Amino acid sequence: MKVTVRSFATLRDYMDAEFAIEIQESATIRDLLTTLIGRYPKLKDEIFLDDGTLRDFVNILQNGRNIAFIQGLDSILADGDRIALFPPAGGG
Amino acid sequence: MTLLDGYAGKIAYVNLTNGRIEIQETPADLKKKYLGGRGFGTKIISDRMDPLVDPLSPDNIFVIASSPLTGTGIPLGSRYMVSTKSPLNNTLMSANSGGTFGWKIKKAGFDAVVFEGRAEKPVYLYMNEGKAELRDATPYWGLDVHETTDALVADLGDKKAKVACIGPAGEKQSLLACVMNDRDRAAGRGGAGAVLGSKNVKAIVATGELRIDEADKDQLNAVKERVRNKLEENGICQALTTYGTAVLVNIINENGILPTRNFQSAHFSGAEKISGERLAETFLKKNSGCFACIVQCSRVCEVDGVTSEGPEYEPIWGFGADLGIDDLRTVIQAASECNKLGLDAVGTPTAIACAMEMREKGYIKDGPQFGNPDGIVDLVRQMGLREGFGAELTDGSYRFAERHGHPELSMSVKKQDLPAYDPRGLQGHGLSYATSVRGGDHVYGYMVSPEVLGAPEKLDPFVNDGKATWTRIFQDLTAAIDASGMCLFSSFALNADDYADLAAATTGIPMDSAALLKIGERIWNLQKLFNITVGYTKADDTLPARLLKDPLQEGGAKGRVWEREPLLSEYYAERGWDAEGVPTPEKLRELGLE
Repeated sequence: MKVTVRSFATLRDYMDAEFAIEIQESATIRDLLTTLIGRYPKLKDEIFLDDGTLRDFVNILQNGRNIAFIQGLDSILADGDRIALFPPAGGG
Repeated sequence: MTLLDGYAGKIAYVNLTNGRIEIQETPADLKKKYLGGRGFGTKIISDRMDPLVDPLSPDNIFVIASSPLTGTGIPLGSRYMVSTKSPLNNTLMSANSGGTFGWKIKKAGFDAVVFEGRAEKPVYLYMNEGKAELRDATPYWGLDVHETTDALVADLGDKKAKVACIGPAGEKQSLLACVMNDRDRAAGRGGAGAVLGSKNVKAIVATGELRIDEADKDQLNAVKERVRNKLEENGICQALTTYGTAVLVNIINENGILPTRNFQSAHFSGAEKISGERLAETFLKKNSGCFACIVQCSRVCEVDGVTSEGPEYEPIWGFGADLGIDDLRTVIQAASECNKLGLDAVGTPTAIACAMEMREKGYIKDGPQFGNPDGIVDLVRQMGLREGFGAELTDGSYRFAERHGHPELSMSVKKQDLPAYDPRGLQGHGLSYATSVRGGDHVYGYMVSPEVLGAPEKLDPFVNDGKATWTRIFQDLTAAIDASGMCLFSSFALNADDYADLAAATTGIPMDSAALLKIGERIWNLQKLFNITVGYTKADDTLPARLLKDPLQEGGAKGRVWEREPLLSEYYAERGWDAEGVPTPEKLRELGLE
């Protein structure tokens, strides 16, 4: 199945800003990130801590909803999903 | 003589009517219970003024107050506050600004200045090493903010002098007028500029080299080191350096909460074109920042050969998504025009957005149209000069919409316009909007931080659990930070213990996080009491009908509205207020506010 990935802010230094990617049925966010890191190795340190958890203030949205409030890294993807990856960022 | 507690030690009481200035020592009790900044302004006005005065009359009081942590070299310790009865909505408001002016007030020998009465002719206040005097400002009346600042510094022959002033908007008593300092820093909301304009006060100049000493130098140096490390290592602060607050455009849009076309929807197809990423690739020249800041989040841009400071996220949203405009050039120029005229960079575009919807629906015949950047910068200019169609909009969206029979199209709370986050996706931030003691506002309790950014931890924006408590803590901590002099962005990295340690080491006042939050809570309740006296009730702690009734149509928060209850009642209980939102006698006793 196909999902669309968008990256923002400093992540665009390491990966394309928007692209579609083929991934296996019932893949999770974790599976997607593994695939992306295979394509963009520098992404790993940007979003993950050494223990495999997400860095502070990294936010991943699945169709506009933060995965922290779905199933986290185990959130299951569906065909046509839009995934947005944000490094730490903020403002007022 | 310098004091060893972070304060300059003096407050200047300026009677503009008779021209007399009385200088008093800053009371120990005021420092201990209210710390500085917003605390000083709120307390002084509460003590000295009948809340029912006309805010544009000589009876209104205007306080400019610096703070103990400002100008001490503590990273991000740069802030000062202006406080007054808001002519926009009668609340007891304080507005915050950065730059170098807050530092310079103290170097000039003062913790605060209190303006009362009205001058017969335009004046400016000149402060220099413990002395304060009123001088003729007639030559500067009519000049814009940049012209005023540059002319004063040139005429005084003092390159180190710092200036806070109003622009033409304040002179015309626009209810969107703000107080500007350092040319492009704004104490933006609530119409404070109109109050100075009504008093014929054009500017305040601060200069001098008096020392500011802290209570415990060794202790403060240790805390400064810890604070510096936390700030430098914090990912959000790092992103602010690179992209500025503009980084929020894409974040908020992807979350489906970027208010678009006067809050008719919350996703803007043109967001990428006005994003922080796009800004960095195009018009951005460099960054800049306030006194002692290691984040340096300000932007400096160049458009068609003209350099300007800004834009921040709020005016990018306001002149961009809220107007349906995706032309970054127009957005930058319009935001800069606000600075020059001395106009609130949130309330100015939101008033235009309201007019655009009124036109779209046929409630007015002429006026600006969504998506059309032509004429927007000129319209801002008109608003600043109270001319043409700008005269219709310059007192804010609520009065405009009401005059034309459709107040429900003003996206405001207590007549002050809502900023750049749609609360239909944010239960906690919506509560903050509804209960802020100065009306529609995002900085008094920035619940976006946990609900979207994940700082200090990730909270689900759709649920109510815990939100009453979190909102109260954010509001009280922010009030304390506003009293301390630290930039609010430091709170992405620091916690209440850090601020308490900074305050204790600087002032010598024993303080822990509970005591610090109590100061914030005291300030919040004083502002609330004032607002109740002028007539605000529970009915006013709400949001525009659209946000209560019309669900979002797309995005992650599709189908949602902001649900007022049971959250509002939980919040009142959390605050120790009765069911109508009135502080109880027990709460007032606890805070020393009987």
